Amino acid sequence: MEPVSNATVYIVDDDAGVREALAWLLRSRRVPSESYDSAESFAAMLQARPPQRQPCCLLLDVRMPGMSGLALFDQLAERGDIAAMPVIFLTGHADVPTAVATVKRGAFDFCEKPFSDNLLVDRIQAALAQSASHLQERRAQHQLQDRVAELTERERDVMRLVVEGLPNKLIADQLDISVRTVEVHRSRVFDKMQVKSAVELANLLRSLH
Amino acid sequence: MTPSTATTSADPSTAAPANPPQPWRRWHSAWRRWSLWTLLVGLVGAMLITLVWLAGRYEASQVQSKLERDTADAVADIRTAFSHNLQSLQALQSGDPDLASWEHRAAGLLSLRRELVRVEWRDTQLRVRAHVETPYRVVPSDPETRAAAQSDIALACANARRIGAASYSGSYFQPQSDGMGSEMMELCVPLLENGRYTGFLTATYALQNVLVDVVATSLQRGQEVSFTEPDGTRLALVGATRRGSRMFQAQQLLDLPGTALMLRMGSWHSAPSVFPNVLTALVTAVMVVLVRDNRRRLRAERDLGDALAFRKAMEDSLVIGLRARDLQGRITYVNPAFCDMVGFTAQELVGQGAPLPYWPPELAQEYGARQQVRLSGQQVPPREGYESVFMRRDGTRFPVMIYEAPLINAQGLHTGWMGSFLDVSEQRRVEELSRTSHDRLQATARLATVGEMASLLSHELNQPLAAISSYASGSLNLLEPVADGAAESPHQPPLPEPLRGDLREVRTAMQRIAQQAERAGRVIKSVHDFVRRRDQSRETVTTQALLDAVMPLIRLQARKLGVQVQVAVEAGLPAALCDRTMVEQVLLNLARNAMQAMDDARIHPRVLELRVARAASNASRGWIEFTVADCGVGIPEDVAAQLFTPFFTTRAEGMGLGLSLCRTVVEQHGGFLGHARREPRGTVFTFTLPAAPAETAAAGAAALPGPASTR
Repeated sequence: MEPVSNATVYIVDDDAGVREALAWLLRSRRVPSESYDSAESFAAMLQARPPQRQPCCLLLDVRMPGMSGLALFDQLAERGDIAAMPVIFLTGHADVPTAVATVKRGAFDFCEKPFSDNLLVDRIQAALAQSASHLQERRAQHQLQDRVAELTERERDVMRLVVEGLPNKLIADQLDISVRTVEVHRSRVFDKMQVKSAVELANLLRSLH
Repeated sequence: MTPSTATTSADPSTAAPANPPQPWRRWHSAWRRWSLWTLLVGLVGAMLITLVWLAGRYEASQVQSKLERDTADAVADIRTAFSHNLQSLQALQSGDPDLASWEHRAAGLLSLRRELVRVEWRDTQLRVRAHVETPYRVVPSDPETRAAAQSDIALACANARRIGAASYSGSYFQPQSDGMGSEMMELCVPLLENGRYTGFLTATYALQNVLVDVVATSLQRGQEVSFTEPDGTRLALVGATRRGSRMFQAQQLLDLPGTALMLRMGSWHSAPSVFPNVLTALVTAVMVVLVRDNRRRLRAERDLGDALAFRKAMEDSLVIGLRARDLQGRITYVNPAFCDMVGFTAQELVGQGAPLPYWPPELAQEYGARQQVRLSGQQVPPREGYESVFMRRDGTRFPVMIYEAPLINAQGLHTGWMGSFLDVSEQRRVEELSRTSHDRLQATARLATVGEMASLLSHELNQPLAAISSYASGSLNLLEPVADGAAESPHQPPLPEPLRGDLREVRTAMQRIAQQAERAGRVIKSVHDFVRRRDQSRETVTTQALLDAVMPLIRLQARKLGVQVQVAVEAGLPAALCDRTMVEQVLLNLARNAMQAMDDARIHPRVLELRVARAASNASRGWIEFTVADCGVGIPEDVAAQLFTPFFTTRAEGMGLGLSLCRTVVEQHGGFLGHARREPRGTVFTFTLPAAPAETAAAGAAALPGPASTR
């Protein structure tokens, strides 16, 4: 799998040995990582500098003193952060129900300690890829939204009717303008939305939702 | 009928006539009781009065008749004395004496007879030929006073001459020179010689002396005797001065030739006499004593009645059976509780001897022997009682505790045995239930502890193993391209072959390290899985059932520590899907911790709250939240940080696995266990469990797929 560039792996585990070993393993695969010794300190970091347009993922120990990994996960899930930052749980306990429960609740994956390390790194890569694609998608969405925002009100009306598949004449009738004006608006919409055909425009708009 | 209070308050005028029956009835019953007594007292009083009166009368008549007899005796004595004197006087003249010898004889007579004060010899013309005075009178009677008596003498002598026999004159008072005086009476005796009168002998009687010398010797104390004239004038008196308060009198006529005197006798007698007084006093005293005794008796009767009613109420209210038996082993008494216990009526039991109907047939012999020992009195029954098995009428057996004590009657005699019986079957059942429940939880607790230890060991070992594995993998990642030489960078010189060989050796070693670490992990996992096999059991249990299973044990400890337990279960909760026994352990552990946190002298009141409710958080819909709250000493900061650390404990005897185990169990269910400080004091532990998907909760469970739906 292609390593995702410019990505960060956050490691949250109370055991320093595990933290350092994981960081070492990731470094051996050229994956940058940041370590935190508790859920609280990680949450504080997240508060201080939220990760922007960078792919990232979270390796989270289930059981820690203070706030448990599950509690932190619930917090993140509630805030909707787990799409941009997939969570992989680490646990020393072979606990299938907990694993299944968290995965069902939106965790990316669940690894038992001791883990098959390179498999873990592969899963991390996958998570990062998902994060990256999520970010990319989000970026594309933003661009699309920006383009739509650039349209004038009349152009937006024309675009809506074009997407519905009406011919120019009917559009002109409905909007009570001339066919010529419709054509001008239409070509301007195509320009601004960077599409070449009505079909392409319809696909683009469908992805917006 | 008693009128209702409403009627009374509403209309006092109608209530007034309705009320009297009560006092009247009371008065009537009191009258009936007291009238008999009044009648009796009245009759006794009348009888006593009659008795006293009769006794007085009898006594008086006795005294009177005696007095009359004495009077008659006295009169007879006087007659005898008079006739005797007459003969002595006549004897003076015998043998035709000369004057001198006559005087000598007369003086002799006078010295013998004191009642005679003077004797005279007179001729037919009543001239004194000779006279002799009594020697006992100091002052002789002077001739003048004698002259005053002359008429009486003449009258008496005329009378004597006429009848030809001695005659007496009437009495007369002769004053004496000493200023006193005495009543005198003359006797005239005619002297005859050959059929013609030759003269007279006159003798003077002093009436006082007659009484003194003739009567007084036979007179009793308290008696007086007097001569009176028939008209009642008293002439002479001898006897007692007044003594006593009552006078009895008798009189008898003393008729003498020529005159008549009345002899009167009086007797002073004390009245009322002592005997009736004493009797009356005695009877009165006895009456008073009787009345008081009766009152006491009535009071004692009332007290006894109260005591009886009290005893009856006590017996009826008892749940403890009572049975008394005599020294022959026969039942003499059973109370209602005992009858209820064995199912026989009192009539069926009283009078029965061994074997008793409530003895199980198979044990009758043993009980008979036991009874023999008891009745022989050789063995004192144990104070703390002993246990036995009885049989109900329907044949069911039940255990009883028996406490026996000897029955001693009012005279201090040992008359039998009193036993109290406690039906302990319910107690036994509860004990049995509690023991099995306790045993089960104990066993589970042991199992859970072993599991938790395995879990902790695996966790603690897995951490370093994970690190080892990671380092090995990372090292391999770094060695891989170098050792293979596959991904050599063009700008780096190729490594020499011997070094490359060494790196290959190192890589193999790293691979071995990774393999061994993985193997160790597998071993740990298999042990863990073995111990934790039962973790997989999940069943649908209502929260109430979970609480019910642990409440007896919690309450047991709560009673010991004086803790009040409050349970609040939200209505309409779905059932929980969980490993029942493990969750019970969690509840029990948390409740015990909470109670121990309150086991401090300063903490009062001690309240343990158990709450079960639907989890409030949005993210945990379909979850049930259990809360165990205490108001104890709270958890210090440093302890809180290590609260869930395995083998960390603040108690000397604790293993430090309790809370760790609780968290493992809760997390195995996908739940969350946390704690918080409670204001103003104490700690709250909260954990969540997944709700079972029920018909009503189906929508929620589908929207949020919990572990419940993933089996």
